[in-house]
Amino acid sequence: MAQMWITMGPQHPMTHGLWTLRVKVDGETIVDTDAELGYIHRGVEKICEDRDFTQITPYCDRLCYVSAMTWANSYIYAAEDLLEAEVPERAEFIRLISAELQRLASHLMWLGAFGPDIGSLTLMTWCMRDREMFLDLLQELGGSRMHYNYPRIGGVKRDIPVGFATRMIAKIKLFEKRIEEYEMLLDESTIWLVRLQGVGYTKAEDMVEAGVSGPNVRAAGVNYDVRWAHPYSVYDQVDWEPAVEKPTSVKGADCYDRYRVRMEEMRQSSKMILDAIEKIPGGKNTNYSAGDEMIMTKAPTRAPEGATGFSNYECTRGASQFYIKGGGEGRGKNPYRLSIRSPMFITIPYVAKTMIGYKIADIPAIMGSFDPCIGETDR
Amino acid sequence: MEDVYDLRSLLFGIADKTVTKLLTGTPLESQIETISFGLGTFVIVNVVFLMLFFSQFAILWIERKWCARMQDRRGATTALRSLWVGENGQTAGEWWNMLPFGAGKPVGMLNGWLNKNFGNSDERAMVDRVGNRSWMGLPILPGFFQNVADGMKFLLKEHMVPQRADKLIFEVSPFLIVSTTLLILGLIPLSSGIYATNPELSILYIIAIFGIAPIGVFFAGWSSNNKYTLIGGIRSAAQLTSYEIPLLLTLLSVSIITGTFNIIESIHFQHSAGAWNIFLMPLGGALFLLTMIAEVERVPFDMPEAEAELVEGWWTEYGGMRFGMLFMAEYIRTYAACFLFAHFFLGGWHLPFQGTIGSIGFLGLGSLYLLIPGAVVTLVKAWLVFLVVFVMARFALARIRTDQILEFGWRVLLPLSVLQVVLAVIYRLWLFDPTAVSDSVAGGMAWNAFGIPHFVPIATTVFWLALFFLMLRDEDKDASPERMFHVQTMQPAGKHIPGQE
Repeated sequence: MAQMWITMGPQHPMTHGLWTLRVKVDGETIVDTDAELGYIHRGVEKICEDRDFTQITPYCDRLCYVSAMTWANSYIYAAEDLLEAEVPERAEFIRLISAELQRLASHLMWLGAFGPDIGSLTLMTWCMRDREMFLDLLQELGGSRMHYNYPRIGGVKRDIPVGFATRMIAKIKLFEKRIEEYEMLLDESTIWLVRLQGVGYTKAEDMVEAGVSGPNVRAAGVNYDVRWAHPYSVYDQVDWEPAVEKPTSVKGADCYDRYRVRMEEMRQSSKMILDAIEKIPGGKNTNYSAGDEMIMTKAPTRAPEGATGFSNYECTRGASQFYIKGGGEGRGKNPYRLSIRSPMFITIPYVAKTMIGYKIADIPAIMGSFDPCIGETDR
Repeated sequence: MEDVYDLRSLLFGIADKTVTKLLTGTPLESQIETISFGLGTFVIVNVVFLMLFFSQFAILWIERKWCARMQDRRGATTALRSLWVGENGQTAGEWWNMLPFGAGKPVGMLNGWLNKNFGNSDERAMVDRVGNRSWMGLPILPGFFQNVADGMKFLLKEHMVPQRADKLIFEVSPFLIVSTTLLILGLIPLSSGIYATNPELSILYIIAIFGIAPIGVFFAGWSSNNKYTLIGGIRSAAQLTSYEIPLLLTLLSVSIITGTFNIIESIHFQHSAGAWNIFLMPLGGALFLLTMIAEVERVPFDMPEAEAELVEGWWTEYGGMRFGMLFMAEYIRTYAACFLFAHFFLGGWHLPFQGTIGSIGFLGLGSLYLLIPGAVVTLVKAWLVFLVVFVMARFALARIRTDQILEFGWRVLLPLSVLQVVLAVIYRLWLFDPTAVSDSVAGGMAWNAFGIPHFVPIATTVFWLALFFLMLRDEDKDASPERMFHVQTMQPAGKHIPGQE
């Protein structure tokens, strides 16, 4: 059969966003691929140069529409590094809890989108149902469902509400049972296994060289989690461990490994949240008023010229990094420069090349298993 | 055994009387027989077609409600159980209190009891968000007429042909698919007294008609001039060629066991020989269902329209009522598959234990049992097959890949169906007792062996069920612990000391 190029995207169910994957197929087999990114480039880094440090937070929320809290936190740590702000312990715990709740919601969104990729529609509705629990919790913190604008330089916007801990523990306990339900639906199904196992092999060395990070490399046996390797916040005070899949093949990790590692990561996040809410300083059922020194300290608003801030943060899709340069008096409260390192911007072109040799039907399975998010990719 | 309600002879009798009365003494008197036959056929064909066609609404409704239940949905398409029984002590609006004269009170009491005993014990209130949902249709069947609304929407949509499509073929292929699909309905009997037509070789005929639509699919995929539809059409052709053969062989074994190529006779045989075919050939039943799911292109065998990679497969370019008709054709084919399974394997219009219960003389209970209309039994069987097999498979399984499905078809299903044919020959030649066939109410005892009544079906069913459970057990997690079910972390969970790596 003659070879032909198929353009998948920008509007295509496989893309999980807005990008184009051009594949050259020989019958059903992929012989070449080409990823085209940049459809929703908004110039966030440039916009941020004209905003003061507090105003940047909502823009960082909007970097990724399913994982806003982790991206906002990521920025906040860089800004705190730049402005040398002190953060109260309680605020760090609240940030940890909010980030892990966001990780659960984001992984559920991934699983819910991955199910229809493989053909399981039920998975979508189940995951959306459970994600709603965590969106409700995050809404209690930030006031909205997707873009919270919750963390502040030097703390968090407001304390956890009264009763939040009880509701959260009940929901997490319920969710831990739900994970087992998912596994009954998926791991017990031979079709699910034959669609994922042995498909989309990626080698650990190749991924590390390309700069892929997060669950995608942990699936290949690389024990690298920023939260574990370079603990920021209070991740060294709570009980958890990174989910790392034991390598099963010399060819590297397949889609099933990547699926498993995220399921395990959801378990670990649940465990972490349950532990953190017990260890939170000041008690889990007290509510400090906004601006109280338990949750917020006064931070400087102007950065000296030449000062730099950097954060290395484990987002839901890998290591996100912020680099901010202060501008001195001439820039006022604004930074001189801000750059963002997005894990998916590195991953997507890499994944596009790993598809070569597999079938057309494997494209959504491989692409979905890497959990693409185009908001952060195009920035 | 004949169904009690013989609509066919009733209608033909009325037609005959009417035509005789009208035409006696006119120049057409010599043609009375022909005309009355034509009139009677016209009426019965329309009646049967309308019955089959409109009972199709039920399967759409069943699918909608059941998948909502499986998917635990909230909102406008809430499961029926959530609307009636409620979750967590709440129902979505106590509709029974709106009925006049307190007529709904018993329903409310029943619902309260169900809610208390079988309601979802979910810790969160689920239905509170559903409370302000809207649903269409009568209160008693919420969502039943949604399909009518969907059809109206399709009708009002614009029909667009892609600019570079092969316009003639593009327009013709949906009609090819839909018309051959509607022809299938003509062959399906609802009971021994309610059927449109009954050709001698109706099994062969129905399979031949089933095989025409794939050509239309391939035409549609090619003529749309779109790469997705092209791949979808080719996938469809590949899939159907690999699945038609096991399907035909399975039907051949049905014909061998029942000794006929006629659907109605094969149903009669199941009663007069004493056992439904599913108990004689469970393997054949499973093969039939698998190949039929592939034939009607539903999950897990729906790669021709795999929406994840091919958008909508071969019908990507169809819009408006063409899309609606193609969708309807898919459901009619599914419905026909359910009917065929009910007829070939579940005894058609015969009630469960019809012979045993039907021959009870005490107080005429047996005859009362036989008064249940055969058409109702057929419909319930078809709906159950649809619910238990097609809907549950669709919403519990994922989609299989093209090369895997072809391999499964050629390497697994084909040998198994050949085995089924051999088994059918052995059963018919050596285990079947033709002298014990009887078309009485009690039915025959043609499958006795070793002096034990019904030994053959019982032993066959027990054997295959045992094999099934053995294979289910064999599929264990210990076989490959590093791949199945749990990821092994480097350090066992819970062993971590905070602050130390």
